[in-house]
Amino acid sequence: MRLFRSNIFLWCLGIALAIQVYIAFETPIGGSFSDAATLAMNGMQDVTPVKATLVSTDSSGATFTDLYGQPGHVQITNRSYGSFQSYKKRDVLVISVAYNLAAKSFDLVEVVRVNPMMTFPMIQGLGELGRNILLHVPMAMVAFIAFLIGTIYSIMFLIKKDFEYDRHARAASAAGLLFTILATVTGSIWARFSWGTFWNWDPRETSIFILLLIYAAYFMLRSLLEESEDKKARIAAVYNIIAFVSVPFLMFVVPRITQSLHPGGGGTEAPVVNLSGQTHTDRTLLNMHWVSVVLFLFVFLWIKDMYTRILRLEAKRAEEA
Amino acid sequence: MTNGWAGVLRKDLRIEFRTRYGVSAVVMFLLITVAVILYSTPGEQLQPSIMSALIWIALFFGAMTGLARSFVSEEERGTALLLRLYASGESVLIGKLIYNLGLMLMLAVSAVVFFLFFFARDFNVRDWGVFWLQLMLGAVGIAAVSTILSALISRASQKGALLPILALPVLMPLVIATTDATRIALEVPNAWAGARGDILILISFDVAMILVSYVLFDVIWKD
Repeated sequence: MRLFRSNIFLWCLGIALAIQVYIAFETPIGGSFSDAATLAMNGMQDVTPVKATLVSTDSSGATFTDLYGQPGHVQITNRSYGSFQSYKKRDVLVISVAYNLAAKSFDLVEVVRVNPMMTFPMIQGLGELGRNILLHVPMAMVAFIAFLIGTIYSIMFLIKKDFEYDRHARAASAAGLLFTILATVTGSIWARFSWGTFWNWDPRETSIFILLLIYAAYFMLRSLLEESEDKKARIAAVYNIIAFVSVPFLMFVVPRITQSLHPGGGGTEAPVVNLSGQTHTDRTLLNMHWVSVVLFLFVFLWIKDMYTRILRLEAKRAEEA
Repeated sequence: MTNGWAGVLRKDLRIEFRTRYGVSAVVMFLLITVAVILYSTPGEQLQPSIMSALIWIALFFGAMTGLARSFVSEEERGTALLLRLYASGESVLIGKLIYNLGLMLMLAVSAVVFFLFFFARDFNVRDWGVFWLQLMLGAVGIAAVSTILSALISRASQKGALLPILALPVLMPLVIATTDATRIALEVPNAWAGARGDILILISFDVAMILVSYVLFDVIWKD
């Protein structure tokens, strides 16, 4: 596509990606008062960021209502940085608070942000690590879309018998493999910090490992065939289609019916795709996630286009030789 | 030779009765696998999860040794061209598929017999209905995938190593579902409730694979 050869487009894509990564790491996370209390009582987390609207200030601190409309009183103690003097009524504050078990009230630790443009939800058990949702999940989604596109091009090749489609299929699968590796790496680092080890053989981890094996076999098959270029391309296309039959089972079915560390395993309610057909994910996080999906999709198309052009040149050189 | 799939099947069966290569290879493979397991786990209590993994490892690699032959042998004997002339693509596929299915079912049944005989203490199937159902569905899936992949690689170099490498990742959803269903059938007397999801995966996988190989076979069979 001509679009991917225009420098202006590529600069825009790069800047948009940089902004997206900045947003993913800079946006404050704001939970509710009940999050702060639960996490402190379970001993998971002492200090929790809470997003709340200022109702009134008094001598010992201030009264807030959080995003679920629950009231809470936050006290200024000797461990607090700053106070509420300079803020007006109805200001939205992201404040990190420590739950005071004895007094059943909250102690201010610091004011994180005043009237933020947006906040991400506090996901209990993930906290700051939840930001990776904007990288890891879109990468896995784009990997699936890439394999789907590769399979469609393989079918087109078998129907039209035009080598251009074969090059597209190869390029899409190669770029899909790259995104699978990226999703594996981001997921593995995430697992290290939230589950304790880089690799747990969780059903989804097993699935993505097998996905890597499938497409490694796809690229290996081509080099081992002793056939004409036409037959090689046909056999590779057939394997691509057969392999894609098992991809939905690996990515969507098996992780949902077996026990999993990932959300949605073993028949539990997944935040995005679930049996009740409702999205429980916070709106802001979901919207930013779709922005990530679109940006990564453009990156995928750019890589695919580049690789297609390389393959086209190689074919041309082989023809001339 | 008749031109339908029955003719292809009859030809393969006749060759098999002359040489008995497929059956004996498969039975020898199973016996060696069972012997290795027996020698390496003397006196061990094998849990149902380990038992189901062992039986499916034996079945998968047994299938890879036995079923890979179907199209490779045609190329090796130089009879592939003749088969192309005599029979249509779909009758070759259906004939070979039924032959491989028969071989695979024989492999599965003999594996169960060997396991019942040699692991009498640990191999206690609590729900035979679900056990046979998932075993048959797993056999159908393995036969379908290895038939089409065997046709795919029949003229590649390194054939022996290539088939398991291509087939294992494609068959993995099936292996995950069957090992889970086998474990449940070994563990609980009324396994249907637990294994229902696995059985549904197996049925949909089998149907999808047979349909895809039926549609795609002509593409690789014709020169």
